[in-house]
Amino acid sequence: MKYLIAEDELDLQQSIVTYLQRDGNICEVASDFGEALEKAAIYDYDIIILDINLISGSGLDVLKTIKKEKKRSGVIIISANNSLTDKLEGLDLGADDYITKPFHLAELNSRINAVLRRGKYGGDEIMEFNEIRIDTKSRTAYIDGKAMPLTRKEYDLLVFFISNKGRVLSKEIIAEHLWGDDSDLLDNFDFIYVHINNLRKKLTAEGAKYIKTAYGSGYKFIED
Amino acid sequence: MTKKTKLIKKTSKTFLLTGLFLALLSSIALYVYTKTLLESEVEEVLYSTEVRIVDALEKNHTLYSLPPVMEVKKVERLGKEILKDTIIYDPSEDEMELFRELSTYKVINGTNYQITIRNMVVESEDFLLAIVISNIAIFVLAFIFLFYFNTTRNLKLWSPFFKNLEQMKRFSLTSKVPIELIDSDVLEFSELKNEISLLTNKVRTDYESLKQFTEDVSHEMQTPLAIIQAKIDNIINEHEISDKQFEQITSIQKDIQRLKQLNKRITTLTKIDNSQFVNIENINLTDLINEKIESFKELQFVNLVHTSKKELSVSMDGYLADILINNLISNAIKHSKKEEDITIKTKDNFLIISNFGEKALVHPENLFLRFYRESNGYQSTGLGLAIVKKICDLYGFKISYQFEIDHHVFSIDFSK
Repeated sequence: MKYLIAEDELDLQQSIVTYLQRDGNICEVASDFGEALEKAAIYDYDIIILDINLISGSGLDVLKTIKKEKKRSGVIIISANNSLTDKLEGLDLGADDYITKPFHLAELNSRINAVLRRGKYGGDEIMEFNEIRIDTKSRTAYIDGKAMPLTRKEYDLLVFFISNKGRVLSKEIIAEHLWGDDSDLLDNFDFIYVHINNLRKKLTAEGAKYIKTAYGSGYKFIED
Repeated sequence: MTKKTKLIKKTSKTFLLTGLFLALLSSIALYVYTKTLLESEVEEVLYSTEVRIVDALEKNHTLYSLPPVMEVKKVERLGKEILKDTIIYDPSEDEMELFRELSTYKVINGTNYQITIRNMVVESEDFLLAIVISNIAIFVLAFIFLFYFNTTRNLKLWSPFFKNLEQMKRFSLTSKVPIELIDSDVLEFSELKNEISLLTNKVRTDYESLKQFTEDVSHEMQTPLAIIQAKIDNIINEHEISDKQFEQITSIQKDIQRLKQLNKRITTLTKIDNSQFVNIENINLTDLINEKIESFKELQFVNLVHTSKKELSVSMDGYLADILINNLISNAIKHSKKEEDITIKTKDNFLIISNFGEKALVHPENLFLRFYRESNGYQSTGLGLAIVKKICDLYGFKISYQFEIDHHVFSIDFSK
């Protein structure tokens, strides 16, 4: 996949690039408004990650240009502003998703995958990993064509794992992904074990041993 | 604190008291003065009559006594001159009358005489009373007139002051419009007006910049936080790290999460202050509570009990309603044990959330203050309840806290 990361904070820009390149994606960067506008208008990208507050201009104007040029790129806005109006404005202008800083790279990656699925499969929204097939529209997971009975959280967890396959997900990241702000209520993440173990059991029962424990309390979804 | 009196009432009172005091004083003075004057007049008459009688006696005129007005008696011995009041029956009037009596002893042509002269004290009391009454009447009339004149005049004079006072009472920090004050031709009022304008404008701009500052800080913090977060995410993926390092890194992630929450809450508070939540819709709180309970149950908080006989609907912003319910439930969860039930009750215009607590709060009055924490047990932002209070204030809901029978009870009265 080809990505454009329009973000003027170079540290953040590079971190995103590093994370995305691990899957063998091509990442181009734009560090200010002019560069972002130029690159977005000239080249074709699968996904454009767009910061709203770019030096010398607004990411929303870049978005307008992309839409005017009828580019088929998926656009994910990243912003420090979590106001609803900004969110709606961005989405109204044709952005595919909106994520507020600070975010986990795994979360961004998961959103990118969702946007790609919708764009690529034209609404079918299918996700595949070896024998696992997930229909994200009907929220059903299949192993070797056989539907798996998953709870809502187990399903979300599986999608999150596959989106970030090969990467370490700590319990904090998983908790934040599954429960958002409410996860700060938890003084420990022990119960995440329960969800992960249940999912792991269901997968292992079908011979899919992909969930590995990494370090002390992180998890990784990898092939043997 | 002493009892407060209105300015006009107070000046009127002073005016009336002064008037009363003056009326009383002048009446007494008038009374004493007239009385002395009358008395000295009577005495003068007595003495002059005496002189005339003595004169007549010296010229050997025979004088007949004319009681009770005049009595001339020959006496053995001389006595002392006496001047006194006496009451004598007056047959003509058939009543006891007051007389002034002068009784002297004189030796005239070798004979001792006692001369007694009396003069009826002309109903002087009546005179005095008439004088005092008319004096008081004049005073009262003058005062009624002056009082009304003075009061209306004062009211007019002070009106810029009162109007400006009203404006100041209505002054709100959060209001965008500056305070509108009336100028006056009275120098002091004009000065006061200028000072108030200066002060309120200063306070308002200070508040604005402080608010802006908080917002900017929390906003600006997002980017470095995002960088830290992204770098940490890469560290755990890029490098071989030990379990111990991973533990430390996840602990850093927890701190980032706290900062994220803090930022989000400060921004929410500022936004409420800025009246950025203007969407009013009819929110079914009963449904919202049930949804929340379901999602909290996923987080293993199964001790939430919703008992409600009637549905509760409230007109407010949907996002704020969500925050309101969420913060109240989270607060109850944070401060109770999992084995104790958290009870949520809704009834007509009321929402009551109670959770078990071992002891009452030490400072319940501080409960809704920003960054107030009663204990350090749970690392909260200390903003959850401040936001709840702010939302309630925004819509005029009344929130109260009580400690009743081992339970912390929060109740919101939605009726306005």
